[in-house]
Amino acid sequence: MSTVTCESGVAVLMEYLEGTLPEDLRTAVDAHVAQCPRCVAFIASYRETPRMLRDATAAEMPSDLVASLRAALRAHRRTPPTNG
Amino acid sequence: VGVPDVGASDETLAACAATGDDRAFEALVERYQARVFRLACRLTSEADAADVVQDTFLQVYQHLATFRGDARFSTWLYRIATNAGLMVHRRRARRPTESLDPWLPRFDADGVHADTPAQLSVVTRMEERLDRDRLAAAARTALDRVPDLYREAFVLRDLEELSTAEVARVLGIEVATVRQRVHRARLLVRGFLQALGEGRP
Repeated sequence: MSTVTCESGVAVLMEYLEGTLPEDLRTAVDAHVAQCPRCVAFIASYRETPRMLRDATAAEMPSDLVASLRAALRAHRRTPPTNG
Repeated sequence: VGVPDVGASDETLAACAATGDDRAFEALVERYQARVFRLACRLTSEADAADVVQDTFLQVYQHLATFRGDARFSTWLYRIATNAGLMVHRRRARRPTESLDPWLPRFDADGVHADTPAQLSVVTRMEERLDRDRLAAAARTALDRVPDLYREAFVLRDLEELSTAEVARVLGIEVATVRQRVHRARLLVRGFLQALGEGRP
């Protein structure tokens, strides 16, 4: 069985979390993480990052923008298309 | 051409809109405007998002005739919106290329994490330590610093939650390349947040 370090584990972390690693490599990563508090902490923060960013950047479209978009698109459609 | 009902598929609406059915076009705009706005905010900024949204739907309108229906409408729309967003972002944020190494995880000669578990947990504890506004500002700063190449994949995959295969179709790249870029972006965003949390510039 191959030996996994923190560094080689991080390199395959996304595949590891998505479950797309070959079985022997996944087992080796599991074995490393089980005895490595640094990797446990790192993986937790790596997993949290997408959700944190998603929550912190979830902007809602303002209603005045909905109205102005509709008006702009209607104005554009009234303009006859030009060739080329 | 009959007026399509509200439950019509995107592709049906797009086909009707392409023949000049304005109600079908407006139905597509209504269906997708909030998502395009959110995507535009994430790729650019809230200030620029309105322009990106308008530009996106104008392009959709102008090119409906070229949408063949062999791709999903949403894939095509996300492609147009992503390109529109990146155009604006490139114009605005022309920052000098900085080395990304300080934001990537550091290892010693044996491949062991150079940071302590406490340092590596800074990001996980950020939500307890920062209020909503400061967290949003930190997220924005981190996102802005990720190079476009990685950011577009990260935004589509992790923030808009498209599948890896769908992101590959939107960006016209291989699935393995999407994974590489998303992984790289996660490492960078995570590293920026850790640095912010530790008070590093």
